[in-house]
Amino acid sequence: MPDIEPFSPRGMFHEGWTAEVNDYAIACGWALKGKQFIVGDVAGGLFAFEGDTGKIIWKKENTHSGGLLAMAIHPEGEIFATSGQDGNVQICNCHEGKVIKTLNLGKGWVEHLKWSNDGLFLAIASSKKVYVFNEIGEEKWISEDHPSTVSAITWSNKNELATACYGRVTFFDIVNNKTNQKLEWQGSLVSMELSPDGDIVACGSQDNSVHFWRRSTGMDAEMTGYPGKPSHLSFDDSGKLLATSGSERITVWSFTGNGPEGTMPGELCHHTEPISSLAFSNKGMLVASGSRDGSVVASFLKNDGNGDPVGAAFAGDLVGVISWRPDDCALAAVNAKGVVNVWKFKVRTNLFSKGFK
Amino acid sequence: MSIKDKVPVTILTGFLGSGKTTLLNRILSEEHGKRIAVIENEYGEVGIDQGLVINADEEVFEMSNGCICCTVRGDLIRVLGNLMKRRDKFDYVLVETTGLADPGPVAQTFFMDEEISSEFTLDGIVTLVDAAHIDQQLGRSEESSEQVAFADVLVLNKTDLVSDDALDTLESRLRDMNRMTRIIRAENAKVPIETVLNLSAFDLDQILKRRPTFLEPEYPFEWTGVYDLDAGKYELMLEEGPDPEMSLVALVNQGESEEELKDGAESSVRLYAENANTLEPGNTVPYGEHVNLKLEDKGNKSFILNIEKPTKIGLFTQHTAEEFNMKVIKSDENKEIPFNAERFWQAEHEHDDEVGSIAIERFGDVDPEKLNTWMGRLLSEKGVDIFRTKGFISYSGNPRRIVFQGVHMLFTAQPDKEWGNEPRRNQLVFIGRNLNEKEMQEGFDKCLI
Repeated sequence: MPDIEPFSPRGMFHEGWTAEVNDYAIACGWALKGKQFIVGDVAGGLFAFEGDTGKIIWKKENTHSGGLLAMAIHPEGEIFATSGQDGNVQICNCHEGKVIKTLNLGKGWVEHLKWSNDGLFLAIASSKKVYVFNEIGEEKWISEDHPSTVSAITWSNKNELATACYGRVTFFDIVNNKTNQKLEWQGSLVSMELSPDGDIVACGSQDNSVHFWRRSTGMDAEMTGYPGKPSHLSFDDSGKLLATSGSERITVWSFTGNGPEGTMPGELCHHTEPISSLAFSNKGMLVASGSRDGSVVASFLKNDGNGDPVGAAFAGDLVGVISWRPDDCALAAVNAKGVVNVWKFKVRTNLFSKGFK
Repeated sequence: MSIKDKVPVTILTGFLGSGKTTLLNRILSEEHGKRIAVIENEYGEVGIDQGLVINADEEVFEMSNGCICCTVRGDLIRVLGNLMKRRDKFDYVLVETTGLADPGPVAQTFFMDEEISSEFTLDGIVTLVDAAHIDQQLGRSEESSEQVAFADVLVLNKTDLVSDDALDTLESRLRDMNRMTRIIRAENAKVPIETVLNLSAFDLDQILKRRPTFLEPEYPFEWTGVYDLDAGKYELMLEEGPDPEMSLVALVNQGESEEELKDGAESSVRLYAENANTLEPGNTVPYGEHVNLKLEDKGNKSFILNIEKPTKIGLFTQHTAEEFNMKVIKSDENKEIPFNAERFWQAEHEHDDEVGSIAIERFGDVDPEKLNTWMGRLLSEKGVDIFRTKGFISYSGNPRRIVFQGVHMLFTAQPDKEWGNEPRRNQLVFIGRNLNEKEMQEGFDKCLI
């Protein structure tokens, strides 16, 4: 077959380990620089596994009465935070899972947690308010009520927090307590991602579209035509590509050149049912996707957003979250049945024997 | 996932003080075996006794396209999205809305959001009505008439505070607004639980079983008599009756079979839509024209019928013949000619409320493409005013009945049981505001094969 060249790089999923938690796994992440993998289930169970072997290190049950809603691991990987329907946030240490501090924010569900990149602040969204605490659980800032329940939060730089709710994305300088920018658009924003430089704001909307803003120019654009709502978005580390869910295909918008406005997105058709999780590798243009059908695929992308699969595996049931190990040499998927799958991920390129630079 | 695997959801609406929380508590205390999740608005009237209760701010999210039919309840999507991950924890969901809520967005959430519609099915909308106050509320607020219009079940609550006569009047007003609803009278929200839960309320079969005639159309006339007349001059003689005048259409060559009577009725409906010519006693009745007989004078009034050659005359009269003791008399013989056949029709009556129901029933098959085009256009033009749609359709070539239901402009259609030996027919009900029945019927008729 002289016409067909093998794509480069080539990679694959190698056998790693599997484990099980008690209920639907809704949150996971790597701690202690990849030495530990923590999984949270919807009933409030927390489980820490050895990153390499899957051996259980500690576990806790009923951490949040009513159930767990979110978990965020500190960028240094020594502590993590969880939140739940009980209106509480717990900051725990990763080694033993011991609670360092419990914060009570009232009776509303606490649905979103995000550590700032330098790890100094923890942003928490509960109902219409957003709170910022420091690492040891001291309150640093509280927002006014948003017009509706806050649906996503993310840090745009070390002091600036972006929040999304119905009809609006707002940027707050949480140190000087002021509003830096408001981006308005009538629509129910269900997800939000920022490009790594913080300039591009992408939001998935209930009306089956993705809305972009460029903060530097104030330009915005709406990408329509999704069969479902794009609840999952992921930027690659260079900010060139945005992968989006919203159907069984992964739609990838390329911000190279004048795009993505007026360009055709890349489309990856690897799954038979809608995408339920998406994550770019920490480095490089490798995107992992999980689907309701239980399949997990890693694809290597080109600048135009198209690409080829470099590995695939079956996780057994709807893939709730997927997570690359910090060194990108392992990929974890947790599913709706509470099954945890971790695969070693090895890639061969001409230049690198592992990972992406 | 088939409908049976989905978690049923009942929406409870009704004005403040109508008894929603009382009913909720009754359901929770009587349904021990069920694990029920309750999504209650923030301003719940009194506490809920037990069960998994989640307080949610009613967040009504409109879409950028401005279409009210795409409006959903964001809070429900979030809360149910999380609940569905814990299937073992509950098997029924009750959503209580605030008194002023428009039920549209709540119901639409179960159609519009794919993640929700794949796990949950809207079992029914139950509206509580305070019998003592609903009359005023209907006059004052659009929300209360919408809540009535959306209801699969109307619980007419606090009946102990109202006289039986007033209840009858109220019930007929509510029935006018929503012909497919089931009305249950109650004191202190005391209703059998099976009348509000697990209704599969969208199942039109059940409604038809309860009230088989509710799809019968209404006509602007109450009665038809067919008279077999030889050539000659006749008098149509009427005594005093309930009205100082009466509309009438006389048709020649009127057949006596049910089918011919219905054909005649359809022609007469069209004629009735035209302005009536007033006839004084002694005037001649024209054929195939809408006329208005002046009946103010006391005693017998006669109008002339001229028959050139033997025929059967059909008289389509606004009131029944009996009410005016109406007779046809052969003039020269002074002999009464009895009718060969008569037919009573469901009479049209004044609808005071803007909100009403329209039913269409036609035998035969429809062309799926034509129906889609028609429904698509109807719902995009009138979707805002159409609250609920339910029906059965017979597609040509399809052995199964198609069952569909909709909320505003959203609708789903799916194959149902096989027709078997049953005659193929189409039955549709629309509930909405200011709907044009004639236009809709004509539109549907064009879809028939």
